[in-house]
Amino acid sequence: MIKLENVSLVFQGGSVALSNITTEIKEGDFVYLIGHSGSGKSSFLKLLYRDTYPTKGIIDVVDMEVSSLPKWKIPILRRKLGIVTQEPQLLEDRTTFENISFSLEVLGYDAKEIDAKTSTLIDLVELQDNAYKFPYQLSGGEQTRVAIARALASNPLVLLCDEPTGNLDPDLSIQIVSLLEKINRAGTTILMATHDSSIVNRRKKRVLELSDGKLIRDETEGTYV
Amino acid sequence: MNKLSYVIKNTFINMRRNPLLVIATVLAVLVSSFLVFTTLSGRAVVQNNTSRWQNGVHVVIFLDDRVTTTAHKQLQESLESYPEVRMVDYFSKDEATEEFKILFKDQPELVQEVDFEILPSSLRVNLNNPSDYTLIIERMEGNPAVKEIRASGEAIERLLSLTNTLVLAATVFAILIAFAAFILIINTLRLTAFAKRKEIKVMKLIGASSTYIRLPFIFEAIFESLLGTSIAVGLGWGVIQYSKDSLVAESIFDITISDGYLINLTLGLILSSVLFGFFASYVGIRKALNE
Repeated sequence: MIKLENVSLVFQGGSVALSNITTEIKEGDFVYLIGHSGSGKSSFLKLLYRDTYPTKGIIDVVDMEVSSLPKWKIPILRRKLGIVTQEPQLLEDRTTFENISFSLEVLGYDAKEIDAKTSTLIDLVELQDNAYKFPYQLSGGEQTRVAIARALASNPLVLLCDEPTGNLDPDLSIQIVSLLEKINRAGTTILMATHDSSIVNRRKKRVLELSDGKLIRDETEGTYV
Repeated sequence: MNKLSYVIKNTFINMRRNPLLVIATVLAVLVSSFLVFTTLSGRAVVQNNTSRWQNGVHVVIFLDDRVTTTAHKQLQESLESYPEVRMVDYFSKDEATEEFKILFKDQPELVQEVDFEILPSSLRVNLNNPSDYTLIIERMEGNPAVKEIRASGEAIERLLSLTNTLVLAATVFAILIAFAAFILIINTLRLTAFAKRKEIKVMKLIGASSTYIRLPFIFEAIFESLLGTSIAVGLGWGVIQYSKDSLVAESIFDITISDGYLINLTLGLILSSVLFGFFASYVGIRKALNE
């Protein structure tokens, strides 16, 4: 599903974000990408959805060679991925329902499909009581749920989450991870960047650990050391 | 279909965000297009008139009253022998009197006051090439049978020169205003893109293509450009109609301009405005999309 071979990312000016990363994530996996701030987690994810491209190496995501992907094919790649950022990036002037339906509208669904699918996604993230609330009326955890629902609109094969629990308290964080596990059980591959040790240690999954841009650990059922 | 409705809906949402800038843009396009329309129409009118005048009499040789019939016939034959000359007509004093009465029929006092004896007979020369009038003047100068020579070519050249200067000035002005309109469109779109930066970011993450994100901005720019141009063209047609009906039409100037020319000019301006809007939107939104 995701394959990196000797991938490095060096920024202009020479600072090394990622160095010689080789790893593979299989279909249906749930993987934590851990490491301290500045270890390269976000850069790793950005490479996968082609927000940036590697200085060297080969990246294969959902059968697309991302490292040499032409610009016009980026939307095709992204429609196969769901992306959740640390900041939920919700549109402030739209309700939960509208924020989710916006994705479906952009993806070209017709009005009936949009209504039905948005309702399904709202049920999935358990926001039925908040469907017509605006982002400022939602808690941080609820906002993250909306962002997850929006990311799922395109039925992605992989969900890439960049510290989705970064701004949440432990209880809410666990709720979000539970939600992601539910999505994973339905078949979606999940790669979640986090530096929250409690989550990683409580829900033992495969762990990829980055330090100073290097992959220093790849453990099945790993912990945050 | 749903995508199209999204694009159209967002085009108008975008325009509602900056109504004053939209109005300023439409006005700038309007003024620029109106200048182009009226300048090109005006030039066509002048060209029509000058070519009409050029097809008429190019040089009038007024004859001395003392000249004999034999002398004027010799002079006429000699003129007709020049390769530049297409035709020479003799215009007697009586014919000059009749022409004067027709020309000034609206001013009977003047007709009554004038001593028609002072009106000279003349030879009216039509040239193959109107610009050769100087050759005729050179050849006729000093001829004792000739009292005075007048060439319409001089007046036409002065008129054309004045028209060309005016056309040039109006064109420069139109380009400056078009440039202002261009900047305004870019500015409007950039403000809209800035206001919608989060929406654009989300769209990119979801997998919307650049073209899809761009379309509401392209539609907005084309709409503004097209609206300004359409009003300008409508006003231009109105001005031409008014000029035809006004006093100007009763002067020596003929405001006739072919519908074919006006339709081509209109279509050309409309097409240009679409391209103009498209190009301005391309430049305006490029930076926002690359961020």
